[in-house]
Amino acid sequence: MAHDPYQILAHPFSLEGYAVIITGAGGAIGGATAHVLAQAGANVVVSDLNLENAEKVAAAVQKATGRETLAVRTDVTSETEQQALVDATLKKFGKITALINNVGWGEYTPLWDVSMDYMMKSYLLNTVSAYNLSKLCMPHLKKQENASITISGSAVGSTPSPEFISYSNAKAALLHMSKSIAMLSGPEVRCNAIVIGSVDNGEATLKAGYDEAMLKRLADAFVLKRRGTPFDIAYAFNYLLSPAAAWVTGIHLHVDGGGSYKSKMPTAD
Amino acid sequence: MNVLEAFGLKGQVAIVTGGGAGIGRGIAELFAQAGAAVVVSDLKKETADGVAEGIVAAGGRAIGVACDVTDAAARQALVDAAIAAFGKINVLVNNAGGGGPKPFDMPMDTFVWAYELNVFSIFHLTQLCAPHIAQAGGGAVLNISSMAGENKNQRMASYASSKAAANHLTRNIAFDLGPKGIRVNAIAPGAIKTAALASVLTPEVEKAMLKHTPLGRLGEARDIANAALFLCSPAAAWVSGQVLTVSGGGVQELD
Repeated sequence: MAHDPYQILAHPFSLEGYAVIITGAGGAIGGATAHVLAQAGANVVVSDLNLENAEKVAAAVQKATGRETLAVRTDVTSETEQQALVDATLKKFGKITALINNVGWGEYTPLWDVSMDYMMKSYLLNTVSAYNLSKLCMPHLKKQENASITISGSAVGSTPSPEFISYSNAKAALLHMSKSIAMLSGPEVRCNAIVIGSVDNGEATLKAGYDEAMLKRLADAFVLKRRGTPFDIAYAFNYLLSPAAAWVTGIHLHVDGGGSYKSKMPTAD
Repeated sequence: MNVLEAFGLKGQVAIVTGGGAGIGRGIAELFAQAGAAVVVSDLKKETADGVAEGIVAAGGRAIGVACDVTDAAARQALVDAAIAAFGKINVLVNNAGGGGPKPFDMPMDTFVWAYELNVFSIFHLTQLCAPHIAQAGGGAVLNISSMAGENKNQRMASYASSKAAANHLTRNIAFDLGPKGIRVNAIAPGAIKTAALASVLTPEVEKAMLKHTPLGRLGEARDIANAALFLCSPAAAWVSGQVLTVSGGGVQELD
């Protein structure tokens, strides 16, 4: 037993030799996750709807870590493009060790102002896409040691969130699905979710309907008195994918500053 | 911060109760490998010393302290010993605990004992350590509870409800200590192959336990130690008030 933390810790949290697909990796959380996982030793497939963003992240990660990366443009609501993502990964790396279903999107909508079409699209993007991509990856995951599927859940999917009715419902379904997948995918493949609180992901939060004052109130309401950084989430992914979590499946890990707030869009009073 | 620093405890001081064997020993040894000076506390002095000596022999920093965590004076003495040896406290792991199935007709003393051991001790030790952790610039408290805190079964009223109390204590203390920069989390382990479990583990019991365990094996102390290191390290800087289940996805009940 040596006591060089760098030497020892290269073991339980190391992702050496892993090939990991991250969807929505052109964004803040997915991008930070790509960086951290590559730093821990993984080769990373950076999938995003926006190829330019995917390529930027892939190039930056490769430059910073020396790991191999692959940028793939994927519309995850298309089965054909999902298959193309899987094929491109296998062609480049010959295997899939982990899938991170990270892509998702939702914005403020008044409770009774959502059309059926909008609701269906939210489920397609946030829930159904993850189901199908998991299905496509499963045979390949089953061939690898300590393989896993990990899902980006959201705090709005685990508490009543009428401000985001379409997004929160879809995320709740996604969280439930992760437990179901876990039950029948072991012992070869683990499946977990991170329930993500309000993370500072730049413009995306503002696009969802928040303003700066609202975000300040949100930060103050957290137990740890700040919103999250993309890296807070990335390290949790690192843990859940690594051998350190080899006996962890079917869990929802809340990374949310301790949570606490009630309204997702708190007003001044 | 690189990844290995994120999952490390370099320069920190950690107290691990029940650190002489099983899960607690696994945590003490891994934390030492991660760079922490470890105060190994155990009911038996020689058991605590044995683990501490092993850490020191391997180049780490540790001391052994005898502590009956149900004794308030012993809890204070443990905190004093940590400060005397290493000058500060960054991390407290409340791992000591125990109990098991008891008949519904148990004497009240037996029921209260489960709470003395599994609830009151961790609350008081957290109270005693919190000012030191805050003074050290913040840190983490980790409570090792049990899947029993969620499971339901006959003869488990005292043990399981005390573990459920420990879980909810964790969620609530997180609010008290968050503003002081102290994160509070728990791990709810499933059945771990330790000497304590070996006393009741027959091949038949193990087979029954694994029937509903997706990952198809019982846990090892290191599965819990790894989760403990994640939760106490900077990698979990935005995680508090959580009860992390480490159980192979299953529920392993002692029927």
